[in-house]
Amino acid sequence: MNPSKTVSHPRRSASRRDAANLLADPHPIGCQCFIIPADVLERFAGDKKLSAEQRKGFADAAKFEKEWRQQRLAQIKHIHAAQSILPTGLTAVGSAAAPPAILVDDCGHGNTLPGTPVRNPGKSPDATAKRAYVETSAVAEFYRSVFGRNSVNNAGMTLLSSIHYSVKYNNAFWNGSQMTYGDGDGNILIDFTKGNDVIAHELTHGVTQYTARFANVNQAGGLNESISDVFGSMFRQWQANQDVTQADWLIGKDIMGPGAIARGFTCLRDMSNPAAKHCMAPQPTTFSQYHDGMDPHYSSGIPNLAFYKAAMAVGGKSWVTVGRIWYQALTGFAPSPNMKMCVFANRTRSLAAGMFPAEAAVRSAIDHAWTAVGL
Amino acid sequence: MLGPRWVYRNVTMALLQIERMGGLAGFGGAGAHVRSLGQLETDTLSPEHQRAVEDLFKPIGKSKATRICDGFRYRISRTLSGITETVEAPEEMVPAALTQCVKDELV
Repeated sequence: MNPSKTVSHPRRSASRRDAANLLADPHPIGCQCFIIPADVLERFAGDKKLSAEQRKGFADAAKFEKEWRQQRLAQIKHIHAAQSILPTGLTAVGSAAAPPAILVDDCGHGNTLPGTPVRNPGKSPDATAKRAYVETSAVAEFYRSVFGRNSVNNAGMTLLSSIHYSVKYNNAFWNGSQMTYGDGDGNILIDFTKGNDVIAHELTHGVTQYTARFANVNQAGGLNESISDVFGSMFRQWQANQDVTQADWLIGKDIMGPGAIARGFTCLRDMSNPAAKHCMAPQPTTFSQYHDGMDPHYSSGIPNLAFYKAAMAVGGKSWVTVGRIWYQALTGFAPSPNMKMCVFANRTRSLAAGMFPAEAAVRSAIDHAWTAVGL
Repeated sequence: MLGPRWVYRNVTMALLQIERMGGLAGFGGAGAHVRSLGQLETDTLSPEHQRAVEDLFKPIGKSKATRICDGFRYRISRTLSGITETVEAPEEMVPAALTQCVKDELV
């Protein structure tokens, strides 16, 4: 057991049987979690009726728990500071709940998840661990301060990232409960944590899982991937405080390896020009090119381009207006695993009218953007 | 009833061609400039991996959904006695010997 993780339903009156169960639980990481109170851990650590091994386990857990709480207090201060400078009219509705814990585990180039916990990842000498921690924290803050969302499930779910997955692994993924990053092969692609849009992309898959629940095939799959690209790019722009004209709209720019750059590839995808030659994986630009069975990373080019066109037409910061409409379209309705692109498009059209009734230009921008991609 | 030994002996004669697909970078998609291919003969696999390959080609296993977003998928073609069958499976179902035999390259 990794005592640094969390367990459900802590009980300050926990018995020694509970203690043994805690140590024996091979899957202590739940989605809805509370840390074991420090006084309980310390009491078990000094309980001579437990074995020396068990006492040591609780002593280690108590030590980690203190470090964890310090980290958490620092996070709370940081988030309160961010909320004090929220844009006018935006509120962080989930702010009363505790912010998510950010954990980083190291796979050590193995294929077993989650790996070994990295202690104090924000101060780790391993740049990958530190980046995973810092950028995941920043994405969580982006969702909280811009959209009032507290973690992927809007209830403070712990955000776990595993790094150094496998050997020369050219990928990152969300497996339903955590993010995982490869180091890249160093030629085509490099360390996936170097892409802040990549980290936001993966975390956003978690948001989609807990909201619209889009499938990852056919039109819903294309939308699922597009949502992750859209919020990945928006996060990148938000972090750099860029308006839509300053943004690069590229996905994966910072993980391109020297071999790919030498071939003229500057990104995986370009939301502003999905079919461009500088994309490692060019995409379709109109719905007429779509057919079922396409890789969702391919069909996502269609809604990606619609978002880009809408954001450019509205102008300013992408997350302020068009981003809020996309967020509401994703999170404000019942789950739709088999969502169609035209339904999603019409949803954003309706939301534009409802959320910005006095701004005809916003409605027009969104309508024209979808029309331009054939939806 | 045919047991595992029968399966083992027959699989040893097959050639597997493997393509890694999907992932965040959209490997192997239409127009994609990154491909990942490999091949191996099943008699080079451990008995455990041979059985895992055989399971992938069982009809009941041909619909292989996954909850993983951005995960790799593998298209595996098996040529056995002149007949070629193809399946697609998510990475977590594919033996490591197969996932490690492909080579990523720009095209």
